[in-house]
Amino acid sequence: MRIAVCAKDEGLNSLVSDRFGRSEKFVIFDTTNQEYITIENSAKNESGGAGGSAVRLLDKNKVDIILVPELGPKAMDAINAYELKVYSFGDSITVEEAINGFSDAKLERILTNTNDGHRGLRRV
Amino acid sequence: MNIAVLSGKGGTGKTTIAVNLAVNSKNAVLIDTDVEEPNSHIFLKPHIERTYEIKKKYPVIDTVKCTLCGECGDFCNYNAILPAKNKVLVLKELCHDCGGCELVCSFDAISFDKRDIGKIYSGKSQNDIPIIYGDLNVGEVSAVKIIERLREIVANEELVIIDSPPGTSCSTVSAVEEVDYAIIVSEPTPFGVSDMKMVVEMLRHMKISFGVVVNKSGLGDNEIYEYCKDEGIVILEEIIFDTEIAKSYAKGDILSYKIEGYSEKMSSIMNKVLESENNE
Repeated sequence: MRIAVCAKDEGLNSLVSDRFGRSEKFVIFDTTNQEYITIENSAKNESGGAGGSAVRLLDKNKVDIILVPELGPKAMDAINAYELKVYSFGDSITVEEAINGFSDAKLERILTNTNDGHRGLRRV
Repeated sequence: MNIAVLSGKGGTGKTTIAVNLAVNSKNAVLIDTDVEEPNSHIFLKPHIERTYEIKKKYPVIDTVKCTLCGECGDFCNYNAILPAKNKVLVLKELCHDCGGCELVCSFDAISFDKRDIGKIYSGKSQNDIPIIYGDLNVGEVSAVKIIERLREIVANEELVIIDSPPGTSCSTVSAVEEVDYAIIVSEPTPFGVSDMKMVVEMLRHMKISFGVVVNKSGLGDNEIYEYCKDEGIVILEEIIFDTEIAKSYAKGDILSYKIEGYSEKMSSIMNKVLESENNE
């Protein structure tokens, strides 16, 4: 199983990010071999639709679970269309804490969007 | 002839100048392309004769033909189409209606449906000034479709005054595309000049001739005069800051009917614009 965490920087010691679609990076942890990689979030500077684009990026990276601080309505639609699962990492501070929280079944699953959406960067 | 009135910074007097130019010019049609916040009609108070519903297309996926190959999602620059596991998700409010997804689809699985994004109103003021203005629905990302339609509607008019959106975004570019002349209405404040510089850069890039009206002069500083001098930009007119003008504007008056000398200033601007065009 592959778990992606919204992160400000690289690796397990990185701080978690406070956005999903515009998260700086994603740390992807593979539970089968306990290895991780960090990927740049190519969606973070999109003028609009960053959430959906980030979901697509994570799907391409074979992610099954996403740990997020928040989730907008369009990202939620995309999560459902890609059949991924999202959990709120709550007050986790580092990526490692978020992953441990998930492994210990302490995180809450997100089934509906947690905010009403952002307006994008308006570079239109 | 098409003349755009633009500014960069908001609130410098675009609408005031555009409305008053229209009032003082024979056979002029005013179009308000600031469709996110149109306000020319507040001054002209037109009787609306015609309303156009403006629609925008968005893709609809034929799930039988679609193979979920992902080509459409790779092509779309606006994340409006997401080829997912068992279906293609269309985020229609993000779609810019470019039609590209249909072109790249090898399976003929994409057709289009339409949705309302705003309206265009056309009418005449009490003094018979024709005005056409657009109004974009709240939450829509792009005004370009409505602005293009506005320009189409007046394509055969003799003289069109275009009240443009502020800034230098896609909307502004669309409003000034193919105009014969642009009037930059600026104010002598640091923000006014800073935003005006971006407009100058845009107009030069688009190869559109332009001149400047310094509105509310006497406020701020001298940078605007120094900048225009250094850059060889013609100052068409100067309108001194006056609380009587501000009061009259705030009541929704047309200044040419209320403020002494205002009409003459508008005619003088118009003459200089026509002169510069004739010399081209």
